[in-house]
Amino acid sequence: MARLAVIVVAAVLLGCGSGIPPGLTYYFSADPRSLDPALSTDVPTGESVTLLFDNLTQFDPEGRLVGGLATAWTPSPDGRTWTFTIRRGARFHDGRPVDVKAIAASFMRALEMAREGGRVWPLLPIDGAAAVVDSGASTLRGLTIVDDTTIAFTLVEPLNIFPKLIAMPVAAIVPTPTPDDFGEHPIGSGPWKFVSWSHDDLLVLARNDDWYGGAPLADTLRIRLIPETFTQAAEYESGRLSVVEIPAGETQRWEREHGAELQRRAAFRAVYVAINTTRGPLADVRVRRAINHAVNVPAILDRVAQGRGVLAAGTIPPGLDGFAPRDRYAFDPARARALLAEAGHKGGLKLQLWRSQRAEFARIAQAIQADLERVGIAVEIVERDASTARSAARKGDADLFLSDWWADYPDGENFTFPLFHSSNAGTGGNYAFVGDSALDAALERARATPDSVDKVALLRAIDAGIFERAPWIFLWFPTDLWAMRPEVVGWEFPAVFTGQRWTGVRFTR
Amino acid sequence: MGISGRVHRTALDRGTLYPMIRYIVLRLALLIPTLLGVLAVTFALLYLAPGDPVAAIVGERADVATIERARRELHLDDPLVVRFGRYIGGVVQGDLGRSYITRRPIVDELAHRFPATLRLAAAAMAIAIVLGLTIGIRGAMRPGSWSDRIATIGAYLGISFPVYWVGLLMILLFAVQLRWFPPSGYGGLLFLILPAITLGMRSVAFLARMTRAAMQEALQSDLVRTARSKGLTSRVVVLRHALGNALIPIITVVGLDFGSYLTGSILTETIFSWPGVGRYVLTAIDKRDLPAIQGSILFLSLIFVVANLIADLCYAAADPRVAYD
Repeated sequence: MARLAVIVVAAVLLGCGSGIPPGLTYYFSADPRSLDPALSTDVPTGESVTLLFDNLTQFDPEGRLVGGLATAWTPSPDGRTWTFTIRRGARFHDGRPVDVKAIAASFMRALEMAREGGRVWPLLPIDGAAAVVDSGASTLRGLTIVDDTTIAFTLVEPLNIFPKLIAMPVAAIVPTPTPDDFGEHPIGSGPWKFVSWSHDDLLVLARNDDWYGGAPLADTLRIRLIPETFTQAAEYESGRLSVVEIPAGETQRWEREHGAELQRRAAFRAVYVAINTTRGPLADVRVRRAINHAVNVPAILDRVAQGRGVLAAGTIPPGLDGFAPRDRYAFDPARARALLAEAGHKGGLKLQLWRSQRAEFARIAQAIQADLERVGIAVEIVERDASTARSAARKGDADLFLSDWWADYPDGENFTFPLFHSSNAGTGGNYAFVGDSALDAALERARATPDSVDKVALLRAIDAGIFERAPWIFLWFPTDLWAMRPEVVGWEFPAVFTGQRWTGVRFTR
Repeated sequence: MGISGRVHRTALDRGTLYPMIRYIVLRLALLIPTLLGVLAVTFALLYLAPGDPVAAIVGERADVATIERARRELHLDDPLVVRFGRYIGGVVQGDLGRSYITRRPIVDELAHRFPATLRLAAAAMAIAIVLGLTIGIRGAMRPGSWSDRIATIGAYLGISFPVYWVGLLMILLFAVQLRWFPPSGYGGLLFLILPAITLGMRSVAFLARMTRAAMQEALQSDLVRTARSKGLTSRVVVLRHALGNALIPIITVVGLDFGSYLTGSILTETIFSWPGVGRYVLTAIDKRDLPAIQGSILFLSLIFVVANLIADLCYAAADPRVAYD
């Protein structure tokens, strides 16, 4: 029997692989859904698309909008038409030119693919886009090829964020027609070419020497697929990952042991509890303010998130237009009790707080529960997997929903319109179910006003108004903490997930 | 399960070959209602479970029209019976459908990942058998000795520790501190050892206990006493006569454990970034990827049942008294 076992062991070992050679090695926590931009609904897919493909516009690591395949863009005076000047000479990895025709066809394909499900909303502002998706129209009315280097988009309404919307992965330019296995063997025009993808294991990319922006400094970029945060850290510590994200709970150990390797960035991300403003007593703004006064947010930020974040007094994070410093709802249980009594809830309240199973959320939820208990609000925590918790919040079944909001594109609009416009109630991101015609009108005006001091003033007023009506328990804007190996040079953690293309990063050993 | 009768011939001689084949065919035929049942239960459970597959298909910020369109496209609003019928129709033709999320055929996804799971399961089982039997036999031969006591304590610990914790400890000690092995990933021998030990640990402990008990009983049997009195060496007595008699319970444990390893160890595969079917199922459940969940469960049920069948057939090889009729 033992001899048989030895033979089995030998047979098993024959399937040998080479492991990971030294060089730039990044990781995702999950296998990308696909490498087809049309299916980029998840972060790993979006990040892959950013490396393999080009957009007309793109974000730099700081989150600034910069040129991509387009070198310049201007709105018409009425703000409804955006005209893009297209770069000459860019080529797909298979040698075909990226010209205005290819770009127009690519937009058309993204809309057609959306019929089967994909992340299409960034393209829907284009006039006629909805007709392509809904009724299979064969042309995109709002897209005009003006000349060899100019494309114009006419929108259904004036929209100042349009150049940012088409920097998103779904608007990446692909060569058409695409073969059936495009999601497995993508052909882009970006700084990196596809080499191989072994699902749940490894994605390998090679430098595109012909990239219009200049070839990346490294010849290969490997992306490993590592689901477990503990394992990610272990891989980094044994030198097999170039960078790693540090979970909040590990902050102090990493500061002690790897201080010189750490980099911080205030994230365009909000952690918050949505208060469903349509459910019973929560419709009363006094109750919502009482809840805000009852929760000791600074203490929770310190204890649970190791102080890694900026306290929120509004929904627009610092660093984006529209942010303004203001006084938070002070931690004041007496005031909270008074407000509750004033609203007729002297006898207390019972609420459900829904959350996903994330470890950090468990601790935040418990702390909030304890604080609210002290002012007479009995909170039942409902823990579900992410999909179920979100479903409940979307349907409006959750009194309170602990969540976070990641910027799709860096703009104050991204932290106001999707989260509080009545058209986004539930599914769109407005889990507080705020529906107010005056607020709606202001949000629409902020989207239509050309980028200017006026837009900033509008966003500030909107943010102040939202803060007043307290549809959230305002928690904090997290600070991201990443470590970079000493042998790696030139990488920084991007402000938005599409902002790092690894072109200027080197491995020095 | 189908083992009956004590017939005084070996199961493998010519006279019983026909009943054995008949037995195998019968067992395989029984697979069909079993798997249909599994599918029906899975279908009903997924129908009742909260969460919405469309959310992961269209992503965040999708408007109501987009969500409705995706539901229509996937026929999610059809009656349950109609959906089940359509699915069974595909399965009969060997088509498990395509993942809602990745759009890739589920058969391909499973075929791509199963070799990794098989490798890990085989390595874990090999470790479990070698260590488990060695420890068990030595313990049975010298009960109460120091090595036996240490092995007994070790076995208790091995059974008690959660896989997750053992895995993390292995990575910390052998990968981060000592750097003998890579912490995780898929590759050659070096990548296999830590996850295989982690996965096989419980079986080592279990097999050692089982073997020790079965061997002690066998060593006191008439057969072994006779063998000893014939003057056979202790080695031959222990390995041929006693172990031969102790094999049936050992095969049972090995068969069941191997079956469950083959269906993917979600925890071990996740901790060690091992690209097997366990992780695939986990992702599918997380995203409510209904066809991927159903297809995986069907496939894994099949593997499990076949592994059990093979274990049952091994009884015949190990014990001539087992006959299939």
